[in-house]
Amino acid sequence: MEGILLHILGAIATFLLAFFVGMTYGGIRRKVIARVQNRYGPPIYQNFIDAFKLFSKTTAVHHGAMHLLGPAFLIVSAVMALMVVPVLRDNLWFTNLNFHGDLIFLIYIMVFGPLGMALGAGQTGNPNSAIGVTRGLSQMVGFEIPWVMALVAIMIKYNTTSIVDLMNIQNEVGQWLIFQNPFAFIAAILASLGMFRYAPFNIVGAPTELASGPASENGGKFLFTMMSAGSVFAFVKLTLFVDIFLGGASNLIVLVIKTFLLYMIPVLYGVVNPRYRTEQAVTYFWGWPLLFGFLAIIYSVYF
Amino acid sequence: MDYGIYQDKLTRIVTDIARSHSLWILAYGTGCGAIEVPATMTSRYDAERLGVRGAATPRQADVLMITGYLTVKTLKRVIRVYEQMQDPKYIIGFGSCAINGGMYWDSYNTIKQLDLYLPVDVYISGCMPRPEAVLEGFAKLQEQIRAGEARGATKYKENLDYYRGNQKKIIKNWDFPDYNW
Amino acid sequence: MDIIILILIVFFAGAVLTAFSEKISTLVQDILFLGTLIVPAILFFTGVEMNTDTIISFNKVPLNLGMTPLSYYFALIVMGLAVLTGVYTVGQMKGKKRKGYFYLNYILSIGAMFGILMSKDLVSFFIFWEIMTWASYLIVIYNGKNVQKIGIKYFVMSAIGAYAMLMAIVLTHSLTGSFLISDLISGFGSWDHGMQILIPVLLLVGFGVKAAIMPLHIWAPDAYSNSPMSYTAIFSGALSKMGVYGMVIVFLALLTKVPEGALIRDIVAWMAAITAAISTLYAIKQDDAKRLLAFSSIGQLGYIVIGVAIGTPMAMLAGLFLAFMHGVFKSTLFMVVGAVEKQTGTTDFTEITGLIRKMPWTFLAALISIIALAGIPPLGGFVGKWMLYESLIQSDHFMLVTLVFFSSTAAFLYCYKILFGFFLGQEEKEWSHVKEAPALMVVPMIILSIISVVLGTFPQLIMKPINAAMTFYGMPDTYGVLWKESMLFNKWGSDIALTPIMYGIMAIFIVVAIFLFFRNRSRTRYVTTKDISTSGEIPKEHENLTFTRGFFQPFLRAVEPVMRKQIDKYMLSFAQGIEDLFEFTRRIYNGNGQSYAIYAMIFLIILLVLGKNLFG
Repeated sequence: MEGILLHILGAIATFLLAFFVGMTYGGIRRKVIARVQNRYGPPIYQNFIDAFKLFSKTTAVHHGAMHLLGPAFLIVSAVMALMVVPVLRDNLWFTNLNFHGDLIFLIYIMVFGPLGMALGAGQTGNPNSAIGVTRGLSQMVGFEIPWVMALVAIMIKYNTTSIVDLMNIQNEVGQWLIFQNPFAFIAAILASLGMFRYAPFNIVGAPTELASGPASENGGKFLFTMMSAGSVFAFVKLTLFVDIFLGGASNLIVLVIKTFLLYMIPVLYGVVNPRYRTEQAVTYFWGWPLLFGFLAIIYSVYF
Repeated sequence: MDYGIYQDKLTRIVTDIARSHSLWILAYGTGCGAIEVPATMTSRYDAERLGVRGAATPRQADVLMITGYLTVKTLKRVIRVYEQMQDPKYIIGFGSCAINGGMYWDSYNTIKQLDLYLPVDVYISGCMPRPEAVLEGFAKLQEQIRAGEARGATKYKENLDYYRGNQKKIIKNWDFPDYNW
Repeated sequence: MDIIILILIVFFAGAVLTAFSEKISTLVQDILFLGTLIVPAILFFTGVEMNTDTIISFNKVPLNLGMTPLSYYFALIVMGLAVLTGVYTVGQMKGKKRKGYFYLNYILSIGAMFGILMSKDLVSFFIFWEIMTWASYLIVIYNGKNVQKIGIKYFVMSAIGAYAMLMAIVLTHSLTGSFLISDLISGFGSWDHGMQILIPVLLLVGFGVKAAIMPLHIWAPDAYSNSPMSYTAIFSGALSKMGVYGMVIVFLALLTKVPEGALIRDIVAWMAAITAAISTLYAIKQDDAKRLLAFSSIGQLGYIVIGVAIGTPMAMLAGLFLAFMHGVFKSTLFMVVGAVEKQTGTTDFTEITGLIRKMPWTFLAALISIIALAGIPPLGGFVGKWMLYESLIQSDHFMLVTLVFFSSTAAFLYCYKILFGFFLGQEEKEWSHVKEAPALMVVPMIILSIISVVLGTFPQLIMKPINAAMTFYGMPDTYGVLWKESMLFNKWGSDIALTPIMYGIMAIFIVVAIFLFFRNRSRTRYVTTKDISTSGEIPKEHENLTFTRGFFQPFLRAVEPVMRKQIDKYMLSFAQGIEDLFEFTRRIYNGNGQSYAIYAMIFLIILLVLGKNLFG
């Protein structure tokens, strides 16, 4: 019984941590963008204020059952993904379902929410939402290939798909995977540019083109749910990258440093780039990232 | 002792602060005033540091900025957009045209006084108001929100008949759905 | 009398009776039709025993019938689907013309499939195979549209497959002197090398046609989309599995004994993977639900064949598991399309929108099957795909796994298109009269969706028969063991591997989703789909704002170079070449006596000149 209680408390703690870190990173991103554009920028905690304001909106509209379920799908799948990603190494608080952490499972769990959201966006009947969804799905096909190739390279290298095992192996060997198979890391990080959907890959919610795409009919609490799900997702992705490429983290400070450094890659890449067209955003991943994916697999097989 | 009142009050203070520092604006760019909005948002004046930020659709927006004169045709769209926004919501009227018709006083197809048709919380005077004035307007709105005085949406609901009457007087092809929040 | 023969007699007698009972009354006909499908199913599930031999002789030609564990597994698919789609068919065919013709061929093809599965020798296998092909051909041309183009394509491809298979059968008989499949398997190891390659390849061509593997797939999109949807559910769900059934035997029993087996496996697996990828791209392009699902079927069959062709225990398990799952979810989807077609009269995505509030049950069935198809946990499709990836990585097919991943990610695109095209989007006045499909059609769909949910949660339900089938053909007993050995299930443990986690996932998911649903519902207000933010405009009743045309245009533009090459065109140019050849031969035989005299002269001269060298 106590074990279960501890697990539940741990899960809540993990969620709060992910929410907090994700939101703060979002705030930092806005600040970074502002500084690059020679602005002062909003305070780092601006995202919390926005989230709280959205939550305290008093009215909302819905267009039917799927529209209500869409954001729910999103947050549920974000939390599910969070539960299977090991946050820290050998830590009692954040174990959750870590021992089930499996890469292929994770990949599929992570598309679950966006697809549910896509259905919700579809039911609103707003043409912009549907266009945004089609763009998002197309882009997913794009970045999934180098991403999967990077993962396959890692899987065959260590003959495991468990994230915990990957972390342990890296610590036993004493060398992070980023050095053992740099090509896999490069392919994965290039794929992550699309995963984070920051410029130049922000084709889904392009505010000036599509009126924020799938989110266009969602205000108030719906938007709050989506925003928190986005923050948790960002944390999940970053933690996953740290786990499989940077050897995981043994305490929260290390985790924050590593994730922050990784987070800056898509952010800084995005700050100086305009938006791609959809087919450019898709085919981008079939150029250099794909090549690195091939190299990663070859490297894993022959070296 | 009833803690409920204090709790409510505390919640209201906190939410009001949050609302005042997170104003997502839907800039309805009518007339020449729209040119001042980019200047306000970009690096020289940087409204984002006050928590002001553009929203893409009415569903997400808190503040409706009406930046200039409104023709009868546009008025219809503006009312529609306003009714699609989610509570709590505010309106900023922008420039003399929104206040009293300005140079369009004699025009046959523009409205003269915006707050006959929609509940305006803050007017920014000028023709056109400079970005400093716009920021001042935002600051004023924030003050009002914190003081709990920015009650435009409630006013609209309470006096719906009055507003609808005025709107119907001027919009001929009336095909609005009911406003029944 | 043996029960297998009884079942076959019920099928064939019932088929004829049903066909001719049209004159009595349609109700009698429907009841007869259902009876003909349900009675054999009951007999099958209660009476048929494993590994019994029955022999019936026609004119000294003995037909050996009996059931193996493998055929039991496939018969589960066929019989289960036959009953459920049978019920659906009665609902769908209500008020249609030529019901007798349709029912006759319907029952015949199911009876023939059952016969194929129960055949223990190649002659009866071939006979039932041809009955199945003919019956399905007659249903493909049932609509009477484009009979020339579609019918001939299907007919020619089937003929190619049948002749290849017939050749293999004759060769087998000349080598072993027996038609028994067991003799083929036992004698295969001792044949000379050429035959060991030739016979499996010929058989694979025969089976590959039905399993729609590139380049033998060209008939499938047209045939699938042109037959009535209630039959396509069988066509794609069960009939295509006959090809898979044959392939399983070839790969399990024959190719394991040949050194070149690995090469053939890889070639077939690659062809299947390319089939899967390309047909997925084509599925994305389609604007018609029937054609979309047809291409999607070909793609999904590609996965199954990959699993079967790779042939490690895990891959075989994945292939067979996916075969079952595909039967379940794809026939549900075809049924959904049939229901939509019946209620609205069209299956064009660009015309239909916003049916979700009018056909909620159909939408639910579609949603669940789509989740299963896309392979999203916790539904059954995920378990199968997971095992497939796992086996591909374990058996060092790294590029293959990337290709499979690509096509299964691209599958999300057409999955969304199905759901969005029919059910989501603006609710138009044009379709406001649409009602939910009749109960006869809805109930089978819902039952099948429940099956896909159950199989996702308890995959071991069908792992058991699969395991029995695999051990029968000499594979190691993997039930339970496999899960431990596999690197995927390393931490997940024992025989009941997925159950606890799946429970957990479903519990979390359902609770939170329902909670959020009601929580949001109590504080939100319903507005129609006309009340959307469109720059302040108020859309009129007749203004259709749904985004349907050119749905994935940017994506298609990105993959356009791949899709430019169509196997159809190659086939056509090949046919053109053959025609030119015939044209040339026709010119030689021009009916002119003098030309023939010259030919004779030339022949004689050649003989004279070369006579010594040739005959000396």
